[in-house]
Amino acid sequence: METSDSEYFESADEDFQSDEENTEIIKSDEKIIKVEKNPRIVDVEEKVGNLQIVKDQNMNKDNDNEVECSLENIKNDIIVNLEFKTKENVKESTTKKEENIVENLYVEGSKIAKDQNMNKDNISKEENTLDNIKKDNNVANTEKIVKKPEVEAFKDSLNDLKEEIIVKKPVKESKIGNKKIMKSKPIICEEVTKKMEEKAKIAKPEVKKSIDENLWDDDEIDWAKEEEISKNTPVLTKHAPNTDKLEPDFSNLWKNDDWVSLEAPSKEPSKITPQNDLGWGSWGTWGVSSILNTATASVSSLTTHVSQGISTVLETGIGVPDPEELARQHREDEEEIVNNVRNIEDLKDVREINALGGFGLGNWVSGVSHLTKLVESTGTKVISGGLDTLETIGKKTMEVLQDGDPGLKKKRAFLKLDQNKPILSQVLREAKEKSNDDNKKLDIRNSVRMKNYETLFDDHQGLVHLEALEMLSKQCDIKLETLSQNLTGGELTDMQETLEQVKELCELPEEDDDEQLTIPEVKEKINTAVSEINIPITYDKLEKTWEETESWLETLKLNLIDEKELHQQAIETLAQLTAFSVEQFHKTAELLLVKENRSTADEADSLVQLTASLIALIGIVAAKFSDKLNSKAPMVNNKESVNELITNVFFEASNSSSYIQDAFQLLIPVLQVGAV
Amino acid sequence: MSYAYLFKYIIIGDTGVGKSCLLLQFTDKRFQPVHDLTIGVEFGARMITIDSKQIKLQIWDTAGQEAFRSITRSYYRGAAGALLVYDITRRETFNHLTTWLDDARQHSNSNMVIMLIGNKSDLESRREVKKEEGEAFAREHGLVFMETSAKTAANVEEAFINTAKEIYEKIQEGVFDINNEANGIKIGPQHSPTNPSLPGAGGSGGSQGSGCC
Repeated sequence: METSDSEYFESADEDFQSDEENTEIIKSDEKIIKVEKNPRIVDVEEKVGNLQIVKDQNMNKDNDNEVECSLENIKNDIIVNLEFKTKENVKESTTKKEENIVENLYVEGSKIAKDQNMNKDNISKEENTLDNIKKDNNVANTEKIVKKPEVEAFKDSLNDLKEEIIVKKPVKESKIGNKKIMKSKPIICEEVTKKMEEKAKIAKPEVKKSIDENLWDDDEIDWAKEEEISKNTPVLTKHAPNTDKLEPDFSNLWKNDDWVSLEAPSKEPSKITPQNDLGWGSWGTWGVSSILNTATASVSSLTTHVSQGISTVLETGIGVPDPEELARQHREDEEEIVNNVRNIEDLKDVREINALGGFGLGNWVSGVSHLTKLVESTGTKVISGGLDTLETIGKKTMEVLQDGDPGLKKKRAFLKLDQNKPILSQVLREAKEKSNDDNKKLDIRNSVRMKNYETLFDDHQGLVHLEALEMLSKQCDIKLETLSQNLTGGELTDMQETLEQVKELCELPEEDDDEQLTIPEVKEKINTAVSEINIPITYDKLEKTWEETESWLETLKLNLIDEKELHQQAIETLAQLTAFSVEQFHKTAELLLVKENRSTADEADSLVQLTASLIALIGIVAAKFSDKLNSKAPMVNNKESVNELITNVFFEASNSSSYIQDAFQLLIPVLQVGAV
Repeated sequence: MSYAYLFKYIIIGDTGVGKSCLLLQFTDKRFQPVHDLTIGVEFGARMITIDSKQIKLQIWDTAGQEAFRSITRSYYRGAAGALLVYDITRRETFNHLTTWLDDARQHSNSNMVIMLIGNKSDLESRREVKKEEGEAFAREHGLVFMETSAKTAANVEEAFINTAKEIYEKIQEGVFDINNEANGIKIGPQHSPTNPSLPGAGGSGGSQGSGCC
């Protein structure tokens, strides 16, 4: 936090010059917006009294717009924070405060990110920097300052202000592109580099041009053309004799700028152009260097404060501070805050006097640094308290998580697995229960109780075998995950490659419709596959089931059997064959896992063959039953219902195939474990 | 066919103590003197009635062989009840109980009801482990104890059903969260939970923690 802040502040300093460049244009926007402000906003402004002074100054001093802009932002932030705070009970523990700080940090972070995104020249960085400083103070201060009725007014004005900001933003952004104009006069502070100066000189006439063009050409602006024009402008050479040298840089400048909102300039070019002319003369009066100095000083002191805060946190140690201590700290904080508020009020008075007396910038700057210091001290308090507890919570959490699981390996593996895999057996179970419900309703009408596919599948213990297979598969996944976490570099890559290879080996062949296997062919394929895999597994039961079914079909007297019974038999057979296939896959997994010498390639090949054969068998069975149903159809009055039954047989057959394929997928980790 | 609850059981213990025979006796009411070695896990299911509620017991009969230990451990998860079986005619099967118990406790949920079973009580002449020893072990480790004979079916029903009763009581007491399937209990398809809503066992403990985070 400390580092990032200071880095951030540095970059803000770097960008400071560009802010100044932009100042004049922003001013014009501010004025426009001010006119639109409603009474409630004014109310808010009064509450955040010191801001108003700045505004007054701003009326007098053109160049103060930059500051006003920052303060406008501060004000907005205060209000945002007020809303945060008022949601919370003021009396709540410091923990709540920390939460808010975190929240604010997030808000701030995203704000910064957004701004950076929109504005590559980082104009708003300086504003954000100030926001950052104020923010923490606000968290604490607002608790005390704001009383309930005021809160409501603040909330309302917040919304208004938000709208205002939205109105303001695009206008500002549009200026960013043009900002280089502003610095065309040679009265520039020492900190500004020569290069920037020259760039600005070049930019000036061109942007002017572009503004003019915007007047006529609302949306489509041909910037390439602009560039062309600017290069050829005679004014250019007058202002910057080195143009030729700088040209490449210059075009880069244009590329880097973000032209998101271009409609805005066209609305107000007339206001901008005069501003440009008026503004140049007053640059010299600006104590840019002093501002910079103040900013830098504030940054460094804040950094020290923060680091002090952190070391305090570290010292206070590991245990969570007990509630009493927290309460005491909290009370101290409160007192400090009250003091700070008084100080701010004093400051306000001083500044009012300053404004009236026309003291001007020097005093104002000192006011800012005063304010900054106040913010720092309060901010540090809050930060240290917040960090303290956050750290303790974090440590405790890690302790609990790592308890008995060093490196969190098991938990990581476990969570990873649980994330995206739906549990097949559970899905099936739900499906079974659902269709059971449906069946119940049907049973009232049908005298013959029909069992649905899922129930039959469960009766043949397909479901529980599938569940067990899932457990094994998950276990293997965890094992693989643990293994890969212990590997690094080349070893890890090797392992991942191996896993990938196994996966490739397990790719099922495309379904070939032309090649319809016959039962003996399927049998042969299954036997070959079983012999290849080299584990004591047998598909005899499958064969037996099929033979029984075949003889049942052959001896079937179509005129004697009800089509529903025939259908039931078909479903029963499919469920039985599928359950048995899943059972065998489960057994295969178990046997492979206890096998001494694994040969993954053979195993994968064999299982692919098995899966394909089993799916083929399911297809044949479904076809045979639907043939029978078809032949039965002419004997039945209701041909529609027979067609429905046939469709259902094929539907359940495809279900069977997918269960078998899913079970096969569950075997892949088992094979992978054998390969690594 | 429909049931109010489904309880998952596991049967564990050394190889050859009669786990599969106990299951066969319970589900099929028959005895098979020579049983194939179990590979990994086999399954059995039977419906019982407790408190006029239909309960389906789904029994996972695990392999006792050492080679399958790592596999069978993966099956412990989500079991509501366990039958820990030893052979009263073989002392070493009794001596291994601690290992089995540790395994079971480590890989399953803490509320699992464990029933200690000394099997082959019909072989009184070859007895190596006294009934009192079994009772003492059970007392020491908080288990329910029973001596059974898969051959004569003595106490077999009781062993399974008493375990189910224990689980059922735990449900009534609210120790088991029936909505958490990791506890090995599933609610039957046609039964929304009929018993009064049971506060979760962890409910009282949870309220304390919420304040800090």
